[in-house]
Amino acid sequence: MPFHELNAVQLDALKEVSNIGMGHAATALSQMIGQNVRLRVPHVTIIEISQVPDCLGGAERLMVGITLQILGDARGSILLLFPQESAHHLLCSLLGRQGKGLVMNEISVSALKEVGNILASAYLSALGNLLNMTLIPSVPLLAYDMAGAVIDYVLIELSQVGDLALLVETVFSGDPDQDNDIKGHFFLLPDPVSLDILLNAIGEAHA
Amino acid sequence: MPDRVSIAEVRIDQAPTVLKAHGLGSCIAVAIYDPVTKIGGLGHMLLPRRPQPPPRGSESKFVDAGIFQMVDELVRASANREGLVAKIAGGANMFESAYQTLINSIGARNAKSAREVLTAIGIPLVGEEVGGNRGRTVEFDLATGNLMVYCARDNEQVIL
Repeated sequence: MPFHELNAVQLDALKEVSNIGMGHAATALSQMIGQNVRLRVPHVTIIEISQVPDCLGGAERLMVGITLQILGDARGSILLLFPQESAHHLLCSLLGRQGKGLVMNEISVSALKEVGNILASAYLSALGNLLNMTLIPSVPLLAYDMAGAVIDYVLIELSQVGDLALLVETVFSGDPDQDNDIKGHFFLLPDPVSLDILLNAIGEAHA
Repeated sequence: MPDRVSIAEVRIDQAPTVLKAHGLGSCIAVAIYDPVTKIGGLGHMLLPRRPQPPPRGSESKFVDAGIFQMVDELVRASANREGLVAKIAGGANMFESAYQTLINSIGARNAKSAREVLTAIGIPLVGEEVGGNRGRTVEFDLATGNLMVYCARDNEQVIL
C-alpha cells in the first residue's frame, strides 16, 4: 500500500496500535530508570524522505540514535532518538553516573543499546500480541552524531521503493520539572511493502 | 546565505551562492564546479546506482543519475563541460556492526559509485573526504570552488 493512499481511519489505527506498544515500552523504561515516564499523543506523519531530518529537530542536532530492524511477519525499522542531554541523564540513572556532560564510551554505548533493545522488544511484543503477529527486533545499532547523519541509514530501504516515509512518532519524557529530565522520540517506520499486512492485522484485531 | 540541498536534491547555482548539505551520514555530497564561470552544483545522494528499470519518482537520490542530472544542468547553464572538476564528501558508515551487510556498507558503495561515474564521464575528482564513521556537513562556496567539510562530532573542519 503506497503511503499516500492511506486514509484517516488507517492512520488513526496505526497511531492507536503504536500507542499501545509504546505504553508497554514506557513501563519498561520507567522500571529501568526509577522515574515515571509520560507519553504524548502519538503523531503520524507522511513526508518526503528529504524532509525527515528537519522533522527530527534539525539535520545538524547532535543526538544518540538507536535503530533496530523489525523482523518477522512485518518489516520496517524502529528508531529511538535521544538528544545528547537526555542520553546523559539516562546514563546517570542507569549507571549511577555523576558529572555534567555525555561521555560515550563502551559502557555508555552498551547501556544505551540495551535500553533500545528493551524498549523495542516491549513495543514489538505488545504489538505482536495485539495483532497476532510475530514481530522481533534485530540487534540494535547505535550512532551518536548529527540527526541527519543518523537518520539516513534508516531511510535507505525506504528510498529504494519510493520518496515518502511514514513516521509514527511518540515523544516520551521523565519529569519535565526535574533538571535531569529524559526526553526521547520513538519512531516506527513500517516498510511500505509490509504495510498491507499490518493494516489487515489491525483490521482483524478490531473485528 | 547558504542554500540548502536536502536528501535526494541536486542544486545548480553560481557565485556568490554557498550551497550547503547537512547531516551526511552514508549519504554522499558531490560538488561539481567550473572555475572559469564559477557555476557549480551540489548533489546530496543516498543510493549508489539507479536500478533498471528506473523506478518512478525522483532520480537524483541515486549517485549516478544525480551526477548525470547535475552535469546536464551545468551545461545548460553555460558552464564549460571540459573544465568541470569534482569533490566528494560523506559516505560514512554510521552504525558500526559486528557483521557486514549490504546496508551498512552503503556509504562506501556511494563513494565508490561517485568515483566510478566521475571517471567514466571524464570529470577529475580533485578532493575527497569520505568514509569513517562520523557525520559531516558541507558548504560549497561557488565564489572560490572550496568545499568546506565539517564534522560536528569531532568539531573539526577540512577544506577541500
